[in-house]
Amino acid sequence: MTSITLNNVSLVYRLFEKLTLSAPGRRRSALGGNIAKSGTKQVVQALDGVSFELKAGDRLGLVGPNGAGKTTLLKVLYGIYQPSGGTISITGKVDALFNIHIGFRPEATGRRNIVLRGLISGWTAAEIEEKMEEIIDFSELGDFIDLPFKAYSQGMAARLAFAAATTLEPEILLMDEWIGAGDASFQEKAKRRMDELAEKAGIIVLASHDDALIQRVCTKKLTLRAGRVESLA
Amino acid sequence: MAAKDNAPEQRIAILPAMIAALNGAFDDISKAMRLHRVWIALAHEDIGDQHRRTTLGPLWMLVNYFAFVGTFAFVFVTKDASNPSYIAYVAIGMLVWFYLTETITMSVSLFQREASFIQGTTLPLFVYVMRLTMQCIIRAGYSLAGCVLILLLGGYGINTNWLLSLVGLLLLILATPAFVVVFAFLGAFFPDSEFIVGNLMRVGMFFTPVFWVYSGQEGIQEYAYNWNPFTYFLEGVREPITTGIFPGHALAVTGYFCLGLWAIALLLLGLYRKRIVFLI
Repeated sequence: MTSITLNNVSLVYRLFEKLTLSAPGRRRSALGGNIAKSGTKQVVQALDGVSFELKAGDRLGLVGPNGAGKTTLLKVLYGIYQPSGGTISITGKVDALFNIHIGFRPEATGRRNIVLRGLISGWTAAEIEEKMEEIIDFSELGDFIDLPFKAYSQGMAARLAFAAATTLEPEILLMDEWIGAGDASFQEKAKRRMDELAEKAGIIVLASHDDALIQRVCTKKLTLRAGRVESLA
Repeated sequence: MAAKDNAPEQRIAILPAMIAALNGAFDDISKAMRLHRVWIALAHEDIGDQHRRTTLGPLWMLVNYFAFVGTFAFVFVTKDASNPSYIAYVAIGMLVWFYLTETITMSVSLFQREASFIQGTTLPLFVYVMRLTMQCIIRAGYSLAGCVLILLLGGYGINTNWLLSLVGLLLLILATPAFVVVFAFLGAFFPDSEFIVGNLMRVGMFFTPVFWVYSGQEGIQEYAYNWNPFTYFLEGVREPITTGIFPGHALAVTGYFCLGLWAIALLLLGLYRKRIVFLI
């Protein structure tokens, strides 16, 4: 049974003054969040006391203005950021659709890119073999699949990236905005794929600025502001 | 006085933190090792991409190696230069030095280059370390083929001394991930180090017995020979073939150096691997 429980989770990270020979004003990393002082150090309070509980069937929409902590919260759930306080308990395999183009290599063929994408996603050789034709079929690339990725049009590249990224059996699915790709007919197909994914996933956490989408897909809405939970409905 | 009284408690508090850090580092390494297919595939792609549109492809690495060894053997024409043992000396010296230079200079910008992966996936940090290690080993493989050819042409037939040389090579390869970790963290915390380390490695070639022979000279050469850890990496591989002597001292120094380097690497990995994402 899939579940997510966050109890008073906070994420505070120090703004590292990188050791550098450049002028003091240019030293800081360009990171978002709320900058606060902790003694002599400057810190970013990205999340502050976030608590919620999700069980199988829940679809949580994360809303809030830019810099509210939506993407940060998704990355904490995915395990990219380690929280600095509170506890997280997750039961179920977590998949994320953040940057679907990650890892694609311009010089490699579409087929090779699917293999690489599969390896990065932790698929076994058998799983890659099994999913290969499905991805090629879905992307509608035909013979182009054996040409270098750099030879693809933007739409073709997006279709392949979408097909490879959404060939999942998610238990818990994290999404930073709803993704779509390609021309009008492919977008319709992509929408159906996303709906299927949402249907299959035990739990969905979707960050978006699109209220209509949140209303359509989600059963719960968590509003974040300055890293804090403003409301959960 | 109070500080003195607290000292044992502080030691007790530091110890679990160190153990936790080491456990974290070993966990990261073991996860990365299970994902060996990822870093092997990515390293092969990296090498392929670097030479994809060239006629010779990765063989350019072999050509580069021959060009350097040939140039040094030609420019430093001395009474030794016609001696095959000097050419073998330079050939092995260049092989090891190029490997070290490439590993170290590429490590400094490693996390910056991998930023999109680090910020977008949950792959263990050591995957990137092994990706670079693998890349450097593949590249060195081409130089090694050239070196073997030079040695064979120079009359150094394959014998048991080559096995002793393999011990030195093995130590070098074992030290590589530790070198990568240490210099990658240095680059993340101190971005200017990319240029500083690059320049130091360029200059370092002249302070390391890559092409000059140490025969008891005093002064700077004595210090450069005895107090330079790279000397021992070189001699551990080179001495068995060029002199036929087991390089016990060089291997011992290299071994201790590796242990120290790995200790630092494990601590860095354990303590800071989760913070790297905020630094790049």
